[in-house]
Amino acid sequence: MKKIRILMLLTVISLLTSLSISSHHAFTAEFDAKAPVNLTGKIVKVEWINPHAWVHVEVIDKNKKTIWMVEGGTPNTLIRNGLTKQTLKPGTVIVVRGYQSKGKLCTPRCRANGRDVTFPDGSKVFMGSSGTGAPRDGADPREPKR
Amino acid sequence: MKKSLLTAFIFFIGALFSSESKTTWFGDPNLQGTWSNQSLTSLERPDEIEGLIISDQDAARYAYYYQQFLEAADGEFEVGEEIQAADDPGGYNTEWMDPGTQLLKIENNYRSSVITYPEDGKLPRKLWRWAINGPLTIYKMFVRADHPEERSLGERCIVGFGSSGGPPMLNVLYNNNYQIVQSPGYVVILVEMNHDARIIKINGKHNPESMKPWLGDSIGYWEGETLVVKTKNMHPQQQFRAGIRHQIFISENALIEERFTRTSQDEILYQFIVNDEKFYNDAWKGEMLFRKTDGKIYEYACHEGNYAMENILAGARALENQ
Repeated sequence: MKKIRILMLLTVISLLTSLSISSHHAFTAEFDAKAPVNLTGKIVKVEWINPHAWVHVEVIDKNKKTIWMVEGGTPNTLIRNGLTKQTLKPGTVIVVRGYQSKGKLCTPRCRANGRDVTFPDGSKVFMGSSGTGAPRDGADPREPKR
Repeated sequence: MKKSLLTAFIFFIGALFSSESKTTWFGDPNLQGTWSNQSLTSLERPDEIEGLIISDQDAARYAYYYQQFLEAADGEFEVGEEIQAADDPGGYNTEWMDPGTQLLKIENNYRSSVITYPEDGKLPRKLWRWAINGPLTIYKMFVRADHPEERSLGERCIVGFGSSGGPPMLNVLYNNNYQIVQSPGYVVILVEMNHDARIIKINGKHNPESMKPWLGDSIGYWEGETLVVKTKNMHPQQQFRAGIRHQIFISENALIEERFTRTSQDEILYQFIVNDEKFYNDAWKGEMLFRKTDGKIYEYACHEGNYAMENILAGARALENQ
Protein backbone atom coordinates (compact mmCIF):
# COMPACT_ATOMS: atom_id res chain seq x y z
CA MET A 1 0.00 0.00 0.00
CA LYS A 2 2.93 2.28 0.69
CA LYS A 3 4.03 1.78 -2.87
CA ILE A 4 0.65 2.88 -4.14
CA ARG A 5 0.62 6.02 -2.00
CA ILE A 6 4.03 6.95 -3.29
CA LEU A 7 3.01 6.23 -6.83
CA MET A 8 0.00 8.47 -6.36
CA LEU A 9 2.14 11.25 -4.99
CA LEU A 10 4.54 10.98 -7.86
CA THR A 11 1.69 10.88 -10.28
CA VAL A 12 0.33 14.06 -8.80
CA ILE A 13 3.66 15.78 -9.10
CA SER A 14 4.09 14.49 -12.60
CA LEU A 15 0.63 15.56 -13.61
CA LEU A 16 0.92 19.00 -12.09
CA THR A 17 3.99 19.44 -14.18
CA SER A 18 2.24 18.02 -17.16
CA LEU A 19 -0.71 20.31 -16.83
CA SER A 20 1.62 23.27 -16.89
CA ILE A 21 3.52 22.16 -19.96
CA SER A 22 0.91 19.86 -21.29
CA SER A 23 0.91 20.79 -24.90
CA HIS A 24 3.56 21.42 -27.47
CA HIS A 25 4.28 24.67 -25.67
CA ALA A 26 4.37 25.77 -22.04
CA PHE A 27 1.12 27.30 -20.80
CA THR A 28 2.92 29.98 -18.85
CA ALA A 29 4.88 31.10 -21.91
CA GLU A 30 1.71 31.92 -23.77
CA PHE A 31 -1.11 32.65 -21.32
CA ASP A 32 -1.60 34.85 -18.29
CA ALA A 33 -2.76 32.94 -15.23
CA LYS A 34 -3.76 36.27 -13.64
CA ALA A 35 -6.15 37.04 -16.47
CA PRO A 36 -9.05 34.58 -16.22
CA VAL A 37 -11.76 34.80 -18.84
CA ASN A 38 -15.29 33.48 -18.62
CA LEU A 39 -16.84 33.53 -22.05
CA THR A 40 -20.28 32.55 -23.23
CA GLY A 41 -21.08 32.83 -26.88
CA LYS A 42 -21.83 31.09 -30.11
CA ILE A 43 -19.21 29.39 -32.19
CA VAL A 44 -18.53 31.24 -35.42
CA LYS A 45 -15.66 29.13 -36.68
CA VAL A 46 -13.51 26.18 -35.72
CA GLU A 47 -9.99 25.83 -37.03
CA TRP A 48 -9.14 22.12 -37.03
CA ILE A 49 -5.43 22.70 -37.19
CA ASN A 50 -2.35 21.41 -35.47
CA PRO A 51 -0.69 21.86 -33.11
CA HIS A 52 -3.92 23.13 -31.48
CA ALA A 53 -7.49 23.48 -32.59
CA TRP A 54 -8.87 27.02 -32.26
CA VAL A 55 -12.53 27.72 -31.60
CA HIS A 56 -13.72 31.21 -32.53
CA VAL A 57 -16.49 32.40 -30.23
CA GLU A 58 -18.61 35.49 -30.64
CA VAL A 59 -19.13 37.10 -27.24
CA ILE A 60 -21.59 39.92 -26.78
CA ASP A 61 -21.04 42.07 -23.71
CA LYS A 62 -22.98 45.31 -23.21
CA ASN A 63 -23.95 45.31 -26.88
CA LYS A 64 -20.31 45.08 -27.89
CA LYS A 65 -19.43 42.12 -30.04
CA THR A 66 -15.97 40.55 -29.63
CA ILE A 67 -14.61 37.48 -31.33
CA TRP A 68 -12.39 35.38 -29.09
CA MET A 69 -10.07 32.69 -30.37
CA VAL A 70 -9.94 29.86 -27.87
CA GLU A 71 -7.07 27.38 -27.96
CA GLY A 72 -7.89 23.72 -27.49
CA GLY A 73 -6.05 20.45 -27.77
CA THR A 74 -4.49 18.74 -30.72
CA PRO A 75 -7.16 17.81 -33.28
CA ASN A 76 -5.74 14.31 -33.55
CA THR A 77 -6.58 13.55 -29.93
CA LEU A 78 -9.92 15.34 -30.13
CA ILE A 79 -10.96 13.25 -33.11
CA ARG A 80 -9.93 10.06 -31.30
CA ASN A 81 -11.96 11.23 -28.33
CA GLY A 82 -15.03 11.37 -30.51
CA LEU A 83 -15.12 15.07 -31.22
CA THR A 84 -16.11 15.91 -34.78
CA LYS A 85 -17.19 18.88 -36.81
CA GLN A 86 -20.73 17.85 -35.92
CA THR A 87 -20.00 18.33 -32.21
CA LEU A 88 -18.77 21.88 -32.58
CA LYS A 89 -20.97 23.39 -35.24
CA PRO A 90 -21.01 27.12 -35.90
CA GLY A 91 -23.97 28.58 -34.06
CA THR A 92 -23.60 26.29 -31.05
CA VAL A 93 -23.43 28.20 -27.78
CA ILE A 94 -20.58 27.20 -25.48
CA VAL A 95 -19.12 28.36 -22.18
CA VAL A 96 -15.35 28.72 -22.03
CA ARG A 97 -13.42 29.12 -18.81
CA GLY A 98 -9.79 29.88 -19.41
CA TYR A 99 -7.02 32.45 -19.39
CA GLN A 100 -6.19 35.23 -21.81
CA SER A 101 -2.95 35.33 -23.74
CA LYS A 102 -0.16 37.42 -22.26
CA GLY A 103 -0.30 39.70 -25.29
CA LYS A 104 -3.62 41.51 -24.83
CA LEU A 105 -3.77 43.69 -27.90
CA CYS A 106 -6.62 41.57 -29.25
CA THR A 107 -5.17 41.98 -32.71
CA PRO A 108 -6.61 40.68 -34.89
CA ARG A 109 -8.65 38.85 -32.28
CA CYS A 110 -8.53 38.26 -28.55
CA ARG A 111 -7.00 34.93 -27.63
CA ALA A 112 -7.38 32.63 -24.66
CA ASN A 113 -6.85 29.04 -23.74
CA GLY A 114 -9.87 26.89 -23.05
CA ARG A 115 -9.18 25.16 -19.79
CA ASP A 116 -12.65 23.72 -19.83
CA VAL A 117 -15.41 24.05 -22.35
CA THR A 118 -19.03 23.19 -21.58
CA PHE A 119 -22.48 23.75 -22.96
CA PRO A 120 -24.59 26.33 -21.07
CA ASP A 121 -26.29 23.58 -19.00
CA GLY A 122 -22.88 22.48 -17.71
CA SER A 123 -22.58 19.31 -19.74
CA LYS A 124 -19.18 18.63 -21.15
CA VAL A 125 -18.37 19.37 -24.73
CA PHE A 126 -15.49 16.96 -24.72
CA MET A 127 -15.67 13.33 -23.80
CA GLY A 128 -13.09 11.60 -21.62
CA SER A 129 -10.16 9.67 -22.91
CA SER A 130 -11.75 6.21 -22.92
CA GLY A 131 -12.55 4.70 -26.24
CA THR A 132 -9.86 6.53 -28.11
CA GLY A 133 -8.94 3.58 -30.25
CA ALA A 134 -5.66 3.29 -28.40
CA PRO A 135 -4.43 -0.20 -27.64
CA ARG A 136 -5.54 -1.79 -24.42
CA ASP A 137 -4.80 -5.07 -22.75
CA GLY A 138 -8.06 -5.75 -20.97
CA ALA A 139 -6.72 -5.03 -17.50
CA ASP A 140 -8.88 -1.96 -17.05
CA PRO A 141 -12.46 -3.09 -16.30
CA ARG A 142 -13.78 0.22 -17.61
CA GLU A 143 -12.44 -0.45 -21.06
CA PRO A 144 -14.98 -0.97 -23.79
CA LYS A 145 -14.93 -4.51 -25.13
CA ARG A 146 -13.44 -4.80 -28.59
CA MET B 1 3.13 -0.66 -70.96
CA LYS B 2 5.34 -3.42 -69.61
CA LYS B 3 6.39 -1.16 -66.76
CA SER B 4 2.78 -0.38 -65.86
CA LEU B 5 1.87 -4.04 -65.83
CA LEU B 6 4.85 -4.84 -63.65
CA THR B 7 3.95 -2.06 -61.20
CA ALA B 8 0.35 -3.24 -61.05
CA PHE B 9 1.51 -6.79 -60.42
CA ILE B 10 3.80 -5.66 -57.60
CA PHE B 11 1.00 -3.71 -55.95
CA PHE B 12 -1.34 -6.70 -56.32
CA ILE B 13 1.16 -9.00 -54.66
CA GLY B 14 1.78 -6.37 -51.99
CA ALA B 15 -1.91 -6.23 -51.21
CA LEU B 16 -1.98 -9.98 -50.76
CA PHE B 17 0.65 -9.66 -48.07
CA SER B 18 -0.96 -7.01 -45.93
CA SER B 19 0.06 -6.00 -42.41
CA GLU B 20 -1.63 -9.15 -41.12
CA SER B 21 0.92 -11.43 -42.80
CA LYS B 22 4.02 -12.63 -40.98
CA THR B 23 6.25 -11.63 -43.83
CA THR B 24 6.17 -8.92 -46.43
CA TRP B 25 5.85 -9.75 -50.10
CA PHE B 26 9.63 -9.44 -50.39
CA GLY B 27 10.23 -11.85 -47.53
CA ASP B 28 11.20 -9.63 -44.58
CA PRO B 29 9.45 -10.03 -41.22
CA ASN B 30 6.37 -7.83 -41.30
CA LEU B 31 6.24 -4.92 -38.89
CA GLN B 32 3.81 -2.91 -40.95
CA GLY B 33 0.78 -1.29 -39.45
CA THR B 34 -0.26 1.44 -37.05
CA TRP B 35 1.07 1.16 -33.53
CA SER B 36 0.97 2.99 -30.23
CA ASN B 37 3.37 3.06 -27.28
CA GLN B 38 0.85 4.85 -25.06
CA SER B 39 1.34 3.93 -21.41
CA LEU B 40 1.19 5.29 -17.89
CA THR B 41 4.69 3.97 -17.30
CA SER B 42 7.37 6.61 -17.67
CA LEU B 43 10.99 6.30 -18.65
CA GLU B 44 12.39 6.37 -15.12
CA ARG B 45 11.23 4.49 -12.05
CA PRO B 46 9.81 6.45 -9.12
CA ASP B 47 12.35 6.67 -6.27
CA GLU B 48 10.47 4.58 -3.77
CA ILE B 49 9.54 1.69 -6.02
CA GLU B 50 11.73 -1.34 -5.76
CA GLY B 51 12.06 -3.50 -8.77
CA LEU B 52 11.05 -3.34 -12.38
CA ILE B 53 7.94 -5.47 -12.00
CA ILE B 54 4.92 -4.60 -9.89
CA SER B 55 1.96 -6.81 -9.09
CA ASP B 56 -1.24 -6.86 -11.12
CA GLN B 57 -3.11 -5.62 -8.07
CA ASP B 58 -0.81 -2.64 -7.57
CA ALA B 59 -0.90 -1.87 -11.27
CA ALA B 60 -4.70 -1.86 -11.28
CA ARG B 61 -4.77 0.38 -8.22
CA TYR B 62 -2.30 2.70 -9.79
CA ALA B 63 -4.37 3.02 -12.95
CA TYR B 64 -7.49 3.60 -10.85
CA TYR B 65 -5.90 6.29 -8.70
CA TYR B 66 -4.43 7.91 -11.75
CA GLN B 67 -7.88 8.22 -13.27
CA GLN B 68 -9.26 9.52 -9.99
CA PHE B 69 -6.58 12.13 -9.88
CA LEU B 70 -7.26 13.22 -13.43
CA GLU B 71 -10.89 13.74 -12.58
CA ALA B 72 -10.01 15.64 -9.42
CA ALA B 73 -7.50 17.79 -11.30
CA ASP B 74 -10.18 18.77 -13.77
CA GLY B 75 -12.25 20.01 -10.85
CA GLU B 76 -15.99 20.17 -10.42
CA PHE B 77 -17.73 23.45 -10.98
CA GLU B 78 -21.29 24.63 -10.91
CA VAL B 79 -23.06 26.00 -13.95
CA GLY B 80 -22.20 29.69 -14.16
CA GLU B 81 -19.30 29.47 -11.74
CA GLU B 82 -16.52 31.70 -12.98
CA ILE B 83 -12.90 30.69 -13.16
CA GLN B 84 -10.52 32.73 -11.04
CA ALA B 85 -6.97 34.01 -11.37
CA ALA B 86 -4.44 31.47 -10.20
CA ASP B 87 -0.73 31.10 -9.70
CA ASP B 88 -0.65 28.13 -12.00
CA PRO B 89 -4.03 27.01 -13.27
CA GLY B 90 -2.54 24.03 -15.01
CA GLY B 91 -3.33 25.09 -18.52
CA TYR B 92 -5.93 22.64 -19.74
CA ASN B 93 -8.12 20.05 -18.24
CA THR B 94 -7.26 16.47 -18.93
CA GLU B 95 -9.85 15.97 -21.61
CA TRP B 96 -7.40 17.51 -24.01
CA MET B 97 -4.92 14.72 -23.34
CA ASP B 98 -4.54 11.03 -24.01
CA PRO B 99 -1.85 9.56 -21.77
CA GLY B 100 -3.29 6.05 -21.57
CA THR B 101 -5.11 4.16 -18.87
CA GLN B 102 -2.70 1.49 -17.75
CA LEU B 103 0.91 0.69 -17.06
CA LEU B 104 3.28 -0.90 -19.51
CA LYS B 105 2.82 -4.67 -19.51
CA ILE B 106 5.39 -6.99 -21.02
CA GLU B 107 5.08 -10.78 -20.89
CA ASN B 108 2.20 -10.44 -18.43
CA ASN B 109 4.20 -8.33 -16.01
CA TYR B 110 3.49 -4.69 -15.29
CA ARG B 111 6.53 -2.46 -15.42
CA SER B 112 7.41 0.40 -13.11
CA SER B 113 9.76 2.00 -15.64
CA VAL B 114 10.75 1.78 -19.27
CA ILE B 115 14.40 1.61 -18.22
CA THR B 116 15.53 -1.95 -17.58
CA TYR B 117 19.20 -1.13 -17.01
CA PRO B 118 20.64 0.27 -14.77
CA GLU B 119 18.70 -1.94 -12.44
CA ASP B 120 17.44 0.96 -10.35
CA GLY B 121 15.47 2.18 -13.35
CA LYS B 122 17.21 5.55 -13.36
CA LEU B 123 19.23 7.34 -16.00
CA PRO B 124 22.94 7.02 -15.15
CA ARG B 125 23.36 10.76 -15.48
CA LYS B 126 26.75 12.39 -15.56
CA LEU B 127 25.55 14.91 -13.03
CA TRP B 128 28.18 17.59 -13.51
CA ARG B 129 27.43 17.64 -17.23
CA TRP B 130 23.70 17.90 -16.63
CA ALA B 131 24.29 20.65 -14.07
CA ILE B 132 26.14 22.70 -16.66
CA ASN B 133 23.96 22.00 -19.67
CA GLY B 134 20.56 21.73 -18.02
CA PRO B 135 19.87 25.24 -16.70
CA LEU B 136 21.43 26.93 -19.72
CA THR B 137 19.44 24.84 -22.16
CA ILE B 138 16.19 25.36 -20.29
CA TYR B 139 16.77 29.10 -20.14
CA LYS B 140 17.51 29.31 -23.85
CA MET B 141 14.70 27.07 -25.01
CA PHE B 142 11.91 27.66 -22.53
CA VAL B 143 12.47 31.01 -20.79
CA ARG B 144 14.02 33.42 -23.24
CA ALA B 145 11.65 34.37 -26.03
CA ASP B 146 13.64 36.72 -28.21
CA HIS B 147 13.58 34.78 -31.45
CA PRO B 148 11.42 31.92 -32.73
CA GLU B 149 14.42 29.82 -33.70
CA GLU B 150 15.72 29.82 -30.15
CA ARG B 151 12.63 28.21 -28.69
CA SER B 152 12.25 24.48 -28.14
CA LEU B 153 11.93 22.18 -31.14
CA GLY B 154 8.42 21.14 -30.13
CA GLU B 155 7.19 24.73 -30.01
CA ARG B 156 8.82 25.33 -33.37
CA CYS B 157 7.04 22.31 -34.87
CA ILE B 158 10.38 20.79 -35.86
CA VAL B 159 10.15 17.48 -33.97
CA GLY B 160 7.76 16.31 -31.27
CA PHE B 161 8.31 17.26 -27.67
CA GLY B 162 10.23 14.79 -25.56
CA SER B 163 11.77 11.92 -27.48
CA SER B 164 8.61 10.79 -29.25
CA GLY B 165 10.42 10.55 -32.59
CA GLY B 166 13.50 9.14 -30.94
CA PRO B 167 15.65 7.37 -31.00
CA PRO B 168 14.79 6.06 -28.51
CA MET B 169 11.09 6.51 -29.26
CA LEU B 170 9.40 7.25 -25.93
CA ASN B 171 5.79 7.81 -24.91
CA VAL B 172 4.52 11.34 -24.36
CA LEU B 173 1.21 12.83 -23.25
CA TYR B 174 -0.74 12.37 -26.47
CA ASN B 175 -0.46 11.30 -30.12
CA ASN B 176 1.68 8.28 -29.24
CA ASN B 177 1.09 6.78 -32.65
CA TYR B 178 3.43 5.38 -35.25
CA GLN B 179 3.00 3.83 -38.67
CA ILE B 180 5.56 1.40 -40.02
CA VAL B 181 5.87 0.90 -43.76
CA GLN B 182 8.36 -1.45 -45.39
CA SER B 183 9.74 -1.71 -48.89
CA PRO B 184 12.74 -3.62 -50.23
CA GLY B 185 15.77 -2.03 -48.60
CA TYR B 186 13.90 0.37 -46.33
CA VAL B 187 11.79 0.55 -43.20
CA VAL B 188 10.01 3.85 -42.61
CA ILE B 189 8.55 4.81 -39.25
CA LEU B 190 6.11 7.68 -39.47
CA VAL B 191 5.87 9.38 -36.09
CA GLU B 192 2.59 11.19 -35.58
CA MET B 193 4.08 13.46 -32.89
CA ASN B 194 5.07 15.29 -34.85
CA HIS B 195 5.03 14.48 -38.55
CA ASP B 196 8.53 13.01 -38.63
CA ALA B 197 9.48 10.00 -40.73
CA ARG B 198 12.45 7.88 -39.78
CA ILE B 199 13.89 6.31 -42.90
CA ILE B 200 15.97 3.26 -42.01
CA LYS B 201 18.21 1.84 -44.70
CA ILE B 202 18.34 -1.95 -44.47
CA ASN B 203 21.87 -3.28 -44.90
CA GLY B 204 22.87 0.24 -45.84
CA LYS B 205 25.73 2.47 -44.78
CA HIS B 206 25.66 5.56 -42.63
CA ASN B 207 25.85 8.92 -44.33
CA PRO B 208 29.00 11.03 -43.89
CA GLU B 209 29.48 12.27 -40.32
CA SER B 210 28.84 15.83 -41.43
CA MET B 211 25.21 14.96 -42.17
CA LYS B 212 23.22 15.12 -38.95
CA PRO B 213 19.50 14.86 -39.72
CA TRP B 214 16.62 15.26 -37.29
CA LEU B 215 16.11 11.89 -35.53
CA GLY B 216 19.64 10.86 -36.49
CA ASP B 217 21.00 8.68 -39.26
CA SER B 218 19.63 5.14 -39.00
CA ILE B 219 20.65 1.92 -40.70
CA GLY B 220 19.27 -1.53 -39.96
CA TYR B 221 19.50 -5.22 -40.56
CA TRP B 222 17.46 -8.30 -39.75
CA GLU B 223 18.67 -10.66 -37.05
CA GLY B 224 16.22 -13.50 -37.47
CA GLU B 225 12.80 -12.01 -36.78
CA THR B 226 14.24 -8.91 -35.13
CA LEU B 227 14.94 -5.63 -36.88
CA VAL B 228 18.10 -4.14 -35.43
CA VAL B 229 18.52 -0.40 -36.01
CA LYS B 230 21.68 1.54 -35.30
CA THR B 231 21.58 5.30 -35.22
CA LYS B 232 24.27 7.94 -34.95
CA ASN B 233 24.97 11.50 -36.09
CA MET B 234 22.20 13.09 -34.05
CA HIS B 235 21.22 16.64 -34.85
CA PRO B 236 22.98 18.90 -32.32
CA GLN B 237 19.82 20.94 -31.73
CA GLN B 238 17.99 17.79 -30.72
CA GLN B 239 20.31 17.31 -27.77
CA PHE B 240 17.79 18.19 -25.07
CA ARG B 241 14.47 16.37 -25.31
CA ALA B 242 11.95 17.55 -22.77
CA GLY B 243 8.52 16.09 -22.36
CA ILE B 244 6.28 15.46 -19.42
CA ARG B 245 7.26 11.87 -18.97
CA HIS B 246 10.96 12.29 -19.49
CA GLN B 247 13.73 14.82 -19.93
CA ILE B 248 16.86 13.43 -21.54
CA PHE B 249 20.03 14.60 -23.21
CA ILE B 250 21.24 12.77 -26.31
CA SER B 251 24.48 14.17 -27.68
CA GLU B 252 25.33 14.28 -31.37
CA ASN B 253 27.95 11.57 -30.77
CA ALA B 254 25.54 9.12 -29.12
CA LEU B 255 25.13 5.63 -30.55
CA ILE B 256 21.70 4.10 -30.16
CA GLU B 257 20.67 0.56 -30.94
CA GLU B 258 17.01 -0.38 -31.21
CA ARG B 259 15.48 -3.80 -31.65
CA PHE B 260 11.97 -4.38 -33.01
CA THR B 261 10.54 -7.89 -32.61
CA ARG B 262 6.97 -8.72 -33.53
CA THR B 263 6.02 -10.96 -30.64
CA SER B 264 2.40 -11.38 -31.68
CA GLN B 265 -0.12 -10.12 -34.19
CA ASP B 266 -0.85 -7.14 -31.95
CA GLU B 267 2.50 -6.39 -30.37
CA ILE B 268 6.02 -5.33 -31.21
CA LEU B 269 8.59 -5.60 -28.44
CA TYR B 270 10.76 -2.49 -28.64
CA GLN B 271 14.14 -2.58 -26.93
CA PHE B 272 16.88 -0.01 -27.00
CA ILE B 273 20.38 0.73 -25.71
CA VAL B 274 21.70 4.27 -25.48
CA ASN B 275 25.47 4.77 -25.46
CA ASP B 276 26.30 8.39 -24.82
CA GLU B 277 29.46 9.04 -22.84
CA LYS B 278 28.95 12.77 -22.89
CA PHE B 279 25.85 12.72 -20.68
CA TYR B 280 25.84 9.31 -19.02
CA ASN B 281 28.22 7.27 -16.87
CA ASP B 282 27.01 4.04 -18.38
CA ALA B 283 24.92 2.73 -21.25
CA TRP B 284 21.21 2.54 -20.43
CA LYS B 285 18.62 0.13 -21.73
CA GLY B 286 14.86 0.15 -22.03
CA GLU B 287 11.89 -1.87 -23.19
CA MET B 288 8.44 -0.87 -24.34
CA LEU B 289 5.60 -2.35 -26.32
CA PHE B 290 4.16 -1.03 -29.50
CA ARG B 291 0.60 -2.25 -29.58
CA LYS B 292 -1.51 -2.39 -32.68
CA THR B 293 -4.18 0.24 -32.83
CA ASP B 294 -7.35 0.36 -34.88
CA GLY B 295 -7.00 4.09 -35.20
CA LYS B 296 -5.41 5.97 -38.01
CA ILE B 297 -2.34 8.12 -38.13
CA TYR B 298 -3.40 11.70 -38.66
CA GLU B 299 -1.42 14.39 -40.31
CA TYR B 300 0.31 16.71 -37.88
CA ALA B 301 0.81 19.75 -40.07
CA CYS B 302 2.07 21.96 -37.30
CA HIS B 303 3.67 25.03 -38.83
CA GLU B 304 0.72 26.55 -40.61
CA GLY B 305 -1.43 26.86 -37.53
CA ASN B 306 1.24 27.48 -34.95
CA TYR B 307 -0.34 30.56 -33.39
CA ALA B 308 1.35 29.53 -30.16
CA MET B 309 4.74 30.79 -31.30
CA GLU B 310 3.27 34.18 -32.13
CA ASN B 311 1.55 34.28 -28.73
CA ILE B 312 4.75 33.32 -26.89
CA LEU B 313 6.79 36.05 -28.52
CA ALA B 314 4.00 38.62 -28.18
CA GLY B 315 3.61 37.65 -24.53
CA ALA B 316 7.31 38.21 -23.87
CA ARG B 317 7.15 41.65 -25.51
CA ALA B 318 4.07 42.53 -23.47
CA LEU B 319 5.92 41.61 -20.27
CA GLU B 320 8.89 43.74 -21.29
CA ASN B 321 6.61 46.73 -21.71
CA GLN B 322 5.09 46.44 -18.28
